[in-house]
Amino acid sequence: MTGPALRPVMWETDFPSPLMLASGTAGFGRELLDLRCLDAVGAVVTKAVTMEPRPGNLPPRILETPMGLLNSIGLANPGAKAVLEEILPGLEGFPCPLLINVAGETVSEFAEVVQVLENSPLQLGYEINVSCPNVSRGGRAFGEEPAVVEDASRAVSRVTERPFSVKLTPNGGDIVEAAKAAESGGASAVTVCNTFLGMFMDWRTGDTILKRGVAGYTSPALLPLVVARVWQVSNAVSIPVISSGGVSGGEDVLQLLAAGARMVQVGTRLMRRPGVAAEIMAEVGRLLQE
Amino acid sequence: MTAPTDSVSRISAMDMILPGVFRVRFRLPDEMPEPVPGQFLQLEATPGLFPVTRRPFTVNRMMDDIIEVIFEEVGWGTSLLASLEPGDPLRILGPLGNGWRGLDRGRWLLVGGGLGAAGFQFLLDRINCAEVVLGASDAGRILPLKTDSPVFLATEDGSTGTTGLVTDLLSPDLLAKPENIAVCGPIPMMNAVWRMIPEASRGRVQVSTESRMGCGWGVCEGCSIPSTDGGYVKCCSEGPVFPGKVIDWDRWMEVGL
Repeated sequence: MTGPALRPVMWETDFPSPLMLASGTAGFGRELLDLRCLDAVGAVVTKAVTMEPRPGNLPPRILETPMGLLNSIGLANPGAKAVLEEILPGLEGFPCPLLINVAGETVSEFAEVVQVLENSPLQLGYEINVSCPNVSRGGRAFGEEPAVVEDASRAVSRVTERPFSVKLTPNGGDIVEAAKAAESGGASAVTVCNTFLGMFMDWRTGDTILKRGVAGYTSPALLPLVVARVWQVSNAVSIPVISSGGVSGGEDVLQLLAAGARMVQVGTRLMRRPGVAAEIMAEVGRLLQE
Repeated sequence: MTAPTDSVSRISAMDMILPGVFRVRFRLPDEMPEPVPGQFLQLEATPGLFPVTRRPFTVNRMMDDIIEVIFEEVGWGTSLLASLEPGDPLRILGPLGNGWRGLDRGRWLLVGGGLGAAGFQFLLDRINCAEVVLGASDAGRILPLKTDSPVFLATEDGSTGTTGLVTDLLSPDLLAKPENIAVCGPIPMMNAVWRMIPEASRGRVQVSTESRMGCGWGVCEGCSIPSTDGGYVKCCSEGPVFPGKVIDWDRWMEVGL
């Protein structure tokens, strides 16, 4: 067996490492640049960009649980036009590839956002967030319905030559079918997967703290759930699989690469350790030498 | 501003200074820029995976290269921190956020509610202070401060100082004099103080805020506080000290912590 690709090639691009920083945990990359924490980062995935500016959900937005983190940020972002005109120009010369995460309320919004962002030379490609509610389908997540995933992928592939990954949801529908649909629609990769639906309930008061009740849950304990999905999906599609979720150390990264991931995202752990990519890659190097 | 660093220090002292309230001291790591009053640190009490986020604390005081932080044991994360002993390693990300503005600009009035006065020592050491006004539920929640300025106390149970709230001590005369008013405490207390300040003087007010925080360095947008432009400001990277006018007090009171 040959060793894992630690400088993977995907989309005809050489990535400096297999680690990507997950959407929502790295902003637009600016802070990491200032902290000088981009060594060993393969790519940064930006926070989600929508067509219109979104202020985000009512606070509180974050709730820690004994073994993980619930977040209900609400896709807060300044909107595609402001990202294009005010944020991306400030990132010229960014030291690693950048993927822009795109969200929308309808299939056509994904394509509209991408069209706006196409005017920037900066990004390598996109990540399409199909875990958000599809307004025209009564709020069901796009990702739950393979036909909708295929439509969204096709809509995006019509408006850009750049590669894009479709970030799938673990919260409904069959993720393998959704991955196949993304591939049929022209996606260049799939990201497996988004946060798991979770909730806190104060049984004494009925208070959920987070005002929408349900939220996105992340935790190191989710690793086996992500490994299983990565393994299932990578056996079913021929486009690259990017894992997302459950990673806190080198062992986790090697496990996901062995299960079929081409690239591995790290998110919640990054919030605690801005230098996590260098830490993990050093650990991966040590593990492979043993 | 120099970039924060993430480095390991060692605890030099851990003492309980009030019931359930701890004072921890550790050396400023060589590579870490020196904090300014009002900035905060993200402390990691354990190298283990849980809890998944750090705990943010303002710097209470700098003594040469020793950093002092005061914290209350309120949950699992702060219990872990309180269980550490001198000699134990402590990982510190910081200094983070923005401190109090205009330290050399005129006289200051400091208004603190309970443990919200943590951090005031650092500020007092760097300013020309006129008066300090502190309120708390009882004497066991009043943090000791070293200052030559007059300190006025109010406790709800009357165990020390005047019986009542901190706002009972804020006379129009007291509020009119200083060029700077620094406020830190629970949200309802800060809101009550803000309401007492005449419109014309509100530009002098700065508040040190807190919020449920994810990263602490500006990326996750978890710690957002309602702002007067109708949107939100990030407690961690745009604060934690804000001009009072930036905060939308009605909306903040509504959402709470």
